Amino acid sequence: MKFDTRTLVLMAIAIVINIVVGQIAVWVKLPLYVDAVGTVLVAILAGPLAGAVTGVLTNVIWGLVSDPTAMAFFPVSLVIGLLAGYLAKLGWFRNIGMTVVSGIVIGIISTLVAIPIIVYMFGGVTGAGTDFATTFLVSVGQELLKSVAIANLTTNLADKILTCVIAWVIASRMPNRFTASFPFYQHSAS
Amino acid sequence: MITQGSSQTGTALLYVPGNSFIHRMNPLTKLVGLLWLAATTFMLPPGGMATIFVATFLFGVLAGAGKAFIKRLILTLGPFAIFLFVIHGVLIERHDTIQHEWISFSPEGAQYMLKILVRVAALLAASMLFVTTTHPANLLKALDSHGVPPGIAYLIASPLLLLEPFSARARAIRDAQQARGLDLTGSWKARVKAFPALLIPLVTLALSDLDHRATVLDGRAFRARPFRVVLDAPVDRPYERWLRRALLIAIPLQIGVLLWL
Repeated sequence: MKFDTRTLVLMAIAIVINIVVGQIAVWVKLPLYVDAVGTVLVAILAGPLAGAVTGVLTNVIWGLVSDPTAMAFFPVSLVIGLLAGYLAKLGWFRNIGMTVVSGIVIGIISTLVAIPIIVYMFGGVTGAGTDFATTFLVSVGQELLKSVAIANLTTNLADKILTCVIAWVIASRMPNRFTASFPFYQHSAS
Repeated sequence: MITQGSSQTGTALLYVPGNSFIHRMNPLTKLVGLLWLAATTFMLPPGGMATIFVATFLFGVLAGAGKAFIKRLILTLGPFAIFLFVIHGVLIERHDTIQHEWISFSPEGAQYMLKILVRVAALLAASMLFVTTTHPANLLKALDSHGVPPGIAYLIASPLLLLEPFSARARAIRDAQQARGLDLTGSWKARVKAFPALLIPLVTLALSDLDHRATVLDGRAFRARPFRVVLDAPVDRPYERWLRRALLIAIPLQIGVLLWL
């Protein structure tokens, strides 16, 4: 599949948004990543394949410029892009209620993809705030896999709901002139 | 979730300029070498992984990137090692756990922790060797000269070029909003409210550029030909081409052996 030039530019901008939004989350000191806003936005506007490519390239480029461990999590971003695109196709980004449900679905499934990477590649540790929760759960007798799952699911659900809502707000507030040139957006237009 | 907790330490390139043997290698050879090392770390015992770590670290120092290596290794591996030790060495009970007053310790857990730590250290050092000695522009030229379509090359190159201007724009928006009274240090409610005030202007501004950028690209007919011609492509020596072929054959073989054993 060949993307048109506008979609290519949208994807490039979305990759940068993903990386810079991570920086904003650090400024406001929120324990969230919110670094898939661009991926979900592309998925809503241009479809699952464009979303998946945006997600994978975000991890590769982040890995190249500042944090090589980011590359290990590219399957998570790929799944987020694909899922957001398919849910958009089903009309799950038409209103705020459905968008929140989409965030829950994406949060659960992306956590399922992330858990084996965290547990088997990194021994259950990510180097982020969720490690405190994982450590606490292990200390009260939970198994490592369960602890990682609970700690990451909790953070990830809030993170992906917020991500989807932000992407939906941005897409729905863009002028018709802008969204009209993305035919896939008709699945999400209210 | 880009990294499930990456340190998010800014967007400056990790590349360290230099003219070492590693710097002069073709970026594609280094990329394939990195993939081969990554596949190899999963096959080796901790001693072998530690050897890869030490070797790549030494190559990094010889390439003049020792400082960048040490900084990144401490920043990433420091907290990682602490949590790994607490979880695997102290908290998870194993058959060999030794209880001493209020603290417990498992030698088997510590051994497992070491295995994970040296693997991550080896992977991190190998990635660092690649990113500190390969400028993204050179990687792009190497991809172009090997026939990568311009659309893909644009998707890799453009974000790399846009990162710094966008980071600067985000800082300008933050400063402007703070001047208008935006509170970034208040309660969590205030900080949640501050988030869209920083994000929405950044994204809206970025998307408003979209049409202009697309028109300029189309005006230049950047996809008129299937491949871009590179005038100063990175040198690709015959032995590097053979090395890449050998490593590309070795990677699936190694993965196959790993799955069978």
